[in-house]
Amino acid sequence: MTVAFRTIRELGADIRAGRVSPVALAEEALHRLDTVGRKLNAVVTLTRERALKQAHRAEEELKAGRDRGPLHGIPYGAKDLLATSGGIPTTWGAAPFKDRRFDFDATVIERLEHAGAVLVGKLAMVEFAGGMGYRQPNASFTGPGISPWAPDAWSGGSSSGSGSAVGAGCVPFAVGSETWGSILGPSTYCSITGLRPTYGRVSRHGAMALCWTLDKLGPMALTADDCGLVLDAIAGVDARDATSIDRPYRYDAGAARQFRFAVVRGTVDATEPGVRDTVAAALDTLKVLGSVEEITLPERPYEPMARIILWAEAASAGEQMIESGAIAGLTAPEDRVTPYARDVILAKDYLRALRLRGVVAREIDGVLRRFDAIVGPSRATAGPRLGAEFRSAIRGSFPDPLGAIGNAAGLPAVGVPCGLTAEGMPVGLQFMGRAWEENTILAAARAWQARTDFHRRRPPLA
Amino acid sequence: MAAVDEAEILFALIRHRYADRLDAAQLDDLRKTVEGLVRDLAALRAVKMADDQEPAQPFIPYRADS
Repeated sequence: MTVAFRTIRELGADIRAGRVSPVALAEEALHRLDTVGRKLNAVVTLTRERALKQAHRAEEELKAGRDRGPLHGIPYGAKDLLATSGGIPTTWGAAPFKDRRFDFDATVIERLEHAGAVLVGKLAMVEFAGGMGYRQPNASFTGPGISPWAPDAWSGGSSSGSGSAVGAGCVPFAVGSETWGSILGPSTYCSITGLRPTYGRVSRHGAMALCWTLDKLGPMALTADDCGLVLDAIAGVDARDATSIDRPYRYDAGAARQFRFAVVRGTVDATEPGVRDTVAAALDTLKVLGSVEEITLPERPYEPMARIILWAEAASAGEQMIESGAIAGLTAPEDRVTPYARDVILAKDYLRALRLRGVVAREIDGVLRRFDAIVGPSRATAGPRLGAEFRSAIRGSFPDPLGAIGNAAGLPAVGVPCGLTAEGMPVGLQFMGRAWEENTILAAARAWQARTDFHRRRPPLA
Repeated sequence: MAAVDEAEILFALIRHRYADRLDAAQLDDLRKTVEGLVRDLAALRAVKMADDQEPAQPFIPYRADS
């Protein structure tokens, strides 16, 4: 019995049938992270002591008939921007913080503990979740994240370790965060399934703040079904996060149905050729699951709007690091410089971006009212190389209207594997839904994964 | 004001604040970043908006539970 590439549901069935124990799963996950995971620069800290304590407790509870649900006894990793108690470092991927410790657990960590999940490691990430303006993969004190699909390919960022640890079969799920692209990007490049929940669905208490009005925490796993199981455990209002919303969530893994999909004109053609061909083929396959209608969105400066919000809030959230000059200790040379540029964003322009955001949120909701999801490429590029600058919407070197709209409007999206380029690099398809419609987009993603086998393909470096 | 002029003015502020901790190459990199920022600002400012279109960010009055 092995933890590698087995879903949460499969492992849960194995545990309850007595085929494997939570302690054995934790031991194997720790071993895989320590070997395969470290080769991919996916690991910051193995949380062995805490993991074995949690796994033993899960074993005893399940033997005694106390079943906490689908995550009970399941190992997982957490992006290293989530505070953890017990002397476990929380580094934010940044060298100046590599020995920093908190004396409390982030709400997400607490909720996963309550669900019986077993924390086996803090996973690598781009320093400051990419908020300092990195332009190439070597932007973490743990080294560049490597995709399990090629030794010279980037895992994506900023949830780099969460992507490659799940993609390499080290853990069945991980928690990542997205401000703009940090869940969907690594999920694409590591060929896994990633869910960006609606803003406010998951408490940010204890998570590093990059941009207060854009940051979301969400699951990264092998399947859409597993993402739903994890979201069920971590969602919910939290008095310690004033932006969390009192809107109860229960994952509904109901039966498949026909869907109404929209594709925004131009979003597929704007991608790299290998991505374009793969996504175009995926959209053809999608017609089996329902209707696919091409639509046009209002002409808006979507990316500039999202960038100004991101940069202004990141400049404020990181003010102490930037003003003190402590950013000089960061790994990526560009991260030591770029933040200074954001000093010149005027309050009036930031507020204009927030006002436009309100307009866009209403317009896109009006569009989505007619559909179950807008579908499109999760990422416009495939397999960026480790030693090179990558193209990024956040820097304006690639269009990403879906990412800008989805993140600025706080909409949920799930990214799923949809094939490989001719060079063997993963490509992703995203389903973006109305606010609070995680169950709808997860149902569409489940239907996609019932029809295809891309999520079951295994990478060469695992 | 032309975008390039605004970029120069904004860049001058950055240079005033931080030039002592940056070398020439870093300053040149920053100048390019500011030029991109100014292009984004120009795109945002070109959108016509009504005065009653408020920021999508509610302030919630605080009162501690007793």
